[in-house]
Amino acid sequence: MIIRKIVIKNFLCYFGTKTFEFENGLNVILGDNGEGKTKFFEAIYWLFNGGKNFASMVSAKALKETNPDDKFDVSVLMEVEQYASIKSIQRSFTVLKTEKDYNISNSRIIGVEETKDGERIRMDGEKLLDIVLPPEIRKYSLFKGESELNIFNNKDALNILVNSFSSAKHYDKYLAQGASLKKKAEAAVDKESRHNSKKQTQYKNLENEIVRLHKGREKIQELLNISESERQTLEMHIEESERYVDNAESLETINNRIKDINSKIRQEESVIKENYTTYLFDDNWILTNFENVHRTFAEKIKKLQSDRRKLQSDFDREEGIKAGKEKLKKEIIEGLTPLPVGVPAKAYMEEMLDAEYCTVCNRPAKKGTPSYNYIQKRLKEYLDSLTPKIKEQQEKKVLFKHDYTRMLFKLSSTHEDTLATLREKKSEIKEIFEFNATRKEAIKKLKERLQLEIKDREKIIGSSSIGENKLANILKNYSSWQRDINSTNNNLRNLESDLKQISKELEAKIKQKEEIDIDAASSFLIETRNILRNIEVIFRDTKEVKYDEFITQLEKKSNLMFQKINADDFTGKIVFKKRNIGGKSNITIELQENGKIFYSPNQSLVTSMHMGILFAISELASELKEESFPMIFDAPTSSFGETKTKDFLNLVYQTGKQRIILFYDFISKENDVQSIKPEFEEVKRHKAFWLKRQRPFDKNDLSTINTEISSI
Amino acid sequence: MARKDDIFRSFMEHDILRSKYEIKQEDIPKTVREAEQSEIKIVKTIALIVKELESSKTISDVALHKKVTQFLNNAI
Repeated sequence: MIIRKIVIKNFLCYFGTKTFEFENGLNVILGDNGEGKTKFFEAIYWLFNGGKNFASMVSAKALKETNPDDKFDVSVLMEVEQYASIKSIQRSFTVLKTEKDYNISNSRIIGVEETKDGERIRMDGEKLLDIVLPPEIRKYSLFKGESELNIFNNKDALNILVNSFSSAKHYDKYLAQGASLKKKAEAAVDKESRHNSKKQTQYKNLENEIVRLHKGREKIQELLNISESERQTLEMHIEESERYVDNAESLETINNRIKDINSKIRQEESVIKENYTTYLFDDNWILTNFENVHRTFAEKIKKLQSDRRKLQSDFDREEGIKAGKEKLKKEIIEGLTPLPVGVPAKAYMEEMLDAEYCTVCNRPAKKGTPSYNYIQKRLKEYLDSLTPKIKEQQEKKVLFKHDYTRMLFKLSSTHEDTLATLREKKSEIKEIFEFNATRKEAIKKLKERLQLEIKDREKIIGSSSIGENKLANILKNYSSWQRDINSTNNNLRNLESDLKQISKELEAKIKQKEEIDIDAASSFLIETRNILRNIEVIFRDTKEVKYDEFITQLEKKSNLMFQKINADDFTGKIVFKKRNIGGKSNITIELQENGKIFYSPNQSLVTSMHMGILFAISELASELKEESFPMIFDAPTSSFGETKTKDFLNLVYQTGKQRIILFYDFISKENDVQSIKPEFEEVKRHKAFWLKRQRPFDKNDLSTINTEISSI
Repeated sequence: MARKDDIFRSFMEHDILRSKYEIKQEDIPKTVREAEQSEIKIVKTIALIVKELESSKTISDVALHKKVTQFLNNAI
């Protein structure tokens, strides 16, 4: 079947009648975001699947340009060529504009088949749609975006696929009939055995035992499936983590080292003694170089003292000579050696004056006489000697009024004592400086090591696509997952052993029961049962073989397409893995690299894988139905980039199958003027369209939007 | 070749026919019609089931069981 034409009428941005005429092969629809690609896709989707929200499909421009009481149709028509005849299916509804609003009619789907002789036969649109594009094919014909390419996002998806396209589906009824016939044949044997056997109690016990063992085995099988599933999940987590875990381990090591270094730095810094202000002033470090100053000072003091002594000596000698001369002069003048002042005592002298008698000479000394006057003069001299002495002293000539040299000498002596302590300071300062220098050197080296570690850590974090915290979490989880998987593996081994044991027991019981059956039941019933048992095995196994054949075929074709799409990149393999869960075959898809699951493929790889599978399904469907069917993709390769998209399209072109692909690549925009990039010329295609909204338009007013189509 | 023959032949490929019933490859019929003439009960039973299940007329489970057991009762 080939889609020849799609005609969209007044559907959203498609105002009026817009026709796409397609070729068999690759049809490309280019359009920047917002130009109408998705609306095209939605139009087809509506045609294929219907929908109720008609108001959301009406072209605002058509509504605006229609007069009240006038009608217009909203429709999507697909014209296809199938078995050399032309068939068209149109889904539509009518809009009647009123003064204030509009009314929408019911939708209708009309099919028309044009026979070879040109006769047009009108028929039920839904039925015709099922003929031209059977529902099982339709399911795999429309894909919007990259996420929808994953058709296997639920566990039944592949089974549905197998049932749609594999001959295995024809065997379902055999499976059911085989099981039913066997069951009835066994029941017939059991019934007769129960009645005829002399060992009825034993037989009944055996039957009960067999039922119990069957149930036990089912339970173990179920637990095995759960454990297996857990193991796979853990494996997935571990493998995902292993991409980071080396980094995470290194990160932890480095973080510990950094922590250790920082702690050492803090320790070294805490012991450094650098309170120099205190040292300088309180601990007199400032005086450590004072010795020379002191020496100079002491020398000067010493000299000063010597000079002073010499001057004083000279002065004293001078003064002594002067005093001696004075004394001598007096002795010479008076011829007497004068009594010292205060001799005789003041009281004697006053007594003598009162008595007018000299007790020294022992003779009278009458007032007014020289003797009396002499005594009076001596008393006066004595009395004068008492008070005027200060004056005399003041007036006494001295060389140095103050004795500063003595003070300076004392200061110098004190300094001399201090010098011994200051000399010790020097070695103390030296020790502290050496200690600090050693600490600083150690800190410097630690900081250099720290920088290296930080750089290494940056490398680790930089080479990881996840953040530091997540990396640390992964390591934490990784260790627990490792423990869990060991425990799960142990559990699996135990369950497998239990299963083996219970199967053995069951087999033994069945054997015992069958021995009784042979004795008790008719031989023809036994033989019928045996034949039907074997037939059931044949039916079941054959269905399984057909199922496996399809899966193998699909896997092979998918990988072929996958490798073509990913020609220069990933060399892994898509693996369809069958698992038996709860007695049902379940298929999961894995991407494997060297036989190991590749758990974290990037989006481009996932898209390539899904595309590979979809194309394989399409090919299988074509082989099965002996005709090919179109596929329509809206922006399926967003993660590819233009070069890979080009290669992908060229690959699609080579398949020769009808594919309609919408995407926004190969459009350049300069100053809001769009153009097709020259690279698009390298894309092989059978037909290409370019969608653009008619300019000018108001992006806030839908009634100005009208997508135009041009062939390129 | 008709689908019923395809299905029948796919059953005939099962190893149980050779291992358990010791049927030689050349004795395995290729079509349902051919199998209906077979002397081998299991082969004939399978042919009977395929013929009935692939027939355009739908057969009930009970009817099929009756036909199969009747055939086997007579054959054994």
